[in-house]
Amino acid sequence: MGTTTVSQTQPSDDVIRVSPAGRGWRLLLCLVLTALFLAGTAVGQDDWWPFGPWRMFANATPPSGSVISLRVEVQVDGDPAWQIAPLTPSAVGLNRAEVEGRIPQMTARPAMLGTLADSHARLRPKAPPWRAVRVVRNEVLLTDGVPNGATRDTVLAQWTAP
Amino acid sequence: MTALNRLTWLFPPVPLARVALLRRAVYLFVIVDVVFLHTSGYYHGWADPVWYQPLWMGRLLHLPAASVPLVQVLRAASVAAAVLALTGRFPRVTGWAVAIAWIWYQYVAFAYGKVDHDRGDFVVALLALPMVGIATVDDRRRSEAAGYALRLIQLTAIATYFLSACAKLRFGGPEWVNSAAILRAVVRRGSWLGEQLLHVPWTLHWFQWVLLSLELLSPVIFFVGERWQRRMIGGWYLFHALTYAMITIAFWPHLVMLLAFLPLEEYRDRWRGRRAADQDRGGTAQAGVPPGSRLRLRATQR
Repeated sequence: MGTTTVSQTQPSDDVIRVSPAGRGWRLLLCLVLTALFLAGTAVGQDDWWPFGPWRMFANATPPSGSVISLRVEVQVDGDPAWQIAPLTPSAVGLNRAEVEGRIPQMTARPAMLGTLADSHARLRPKAPPWRAVRVVRNEVLLTDGVPNGATRDTVLAQWTAP
Repeated sequence: MTALNRLTWLFPPVPLARVALLRRAVYLFVIVDVVFLHTSGYYHGWADPVWYQPLWMGRLLHLPAASVPLVQVLRAASVAAAVLALTGRFPRVTGWAVAIAWIWYQYVAFAYGKVDHDRGDFVVALLALPMVGIATVDDRRRSEAAGYALRLIQLTAIATYFLSACAKLRFGGPEWVNSAAILRAVVRRGSWLGEQLLHVPWTLHWFQWVLLSLELLSPVIFFVGERWQRRMIGGWYLFHALTYAMITIAFWPHLVMLLAFLPLEEYRDRWRGRRAADQDRGGTAQAGVPPGSRLRLRATQR
């Protein structure tokens, strides 16, 4: 084939071009995406996804503050002791950060914690049902950027099965 | 029109084989991702709708809160569409189907108050790849449409570094570099290596300076030759391996996108060449050669 020999010496002849119209809309798409991503970083919030700001580890933690994490504790049937419940999607349908982000709503409406017990019952039907659920805030205190060994616990919201 | 023709940088001619191979990586990743890696969206089907916090996209399109049937359909559709896309047939239809299913599935994952910040860029890969049309792994013809798709993916992948540096400055302020941001990440989900570094706090402090500098300088990759581009991508893979060792977080979709910088079809040639040489040395070439098109291809080459 003649074309094959030509293509070996002049590979540029082999290039499949994009028509001017094709270039036009592709350029436009590139500009629109650029504008959305730039705007998302400049003024957007997380709910702009996928154009929201890429704020992984973007928050500045003061070197002498505290590192806060939450834990959910539950009481199961017939046991008064509070046990640490797994705050994972496969156990309650939500992950730790999603529960952490709703602290004001949970303190205002502790019944939200009851929905965690419901979801847990549906996801783990063989596990003992939860009779009471509470959210505890745990703070690891820092001094000069190093954990100083002290922690502080606060109960933020509590729900008991009716 | 002539102005558009001059936009050669955005339309570099690239072998169609490269797009075909990147598609394989991307669509294989989609399957692994929805089944094993990113499953929080799946479990949102069991969460009470009281926890649903629609994103802008959901308000615009009136997307409902998750339910068990919805998450099961989205997961199955993502896998099914990706399997079809891997066959290489009807790349536009199957590619758009993957894009819709996967993006919706991610939406379900993110509409409960926590948005992961490592997945926005993969959306662009899923949108760009179907635009190229038919591409097979043996097609060495160079195509400007292929080059454009790869360029778009490259630009987005690098934009994540640069814009995440901008986000650090926006949310953390210039003092971010001297804050305890990485320390916080290590305390919250540290690994063995991270625990060791906690005892030497200056390492984490300096890591922040290095990280922000690298991110702000990342666009340099578009101004160097191909050889240096590949070295820089190697450097980023190394960086992500280090991050994983410290805080057990990896931006998996982003790692797939970085492949858009690499001459995948050349790697495949080298790999197959070595394999063929091994087989010839073993003297069992006939038994070792897989049946089908590859056999025919090699026969015609001889």
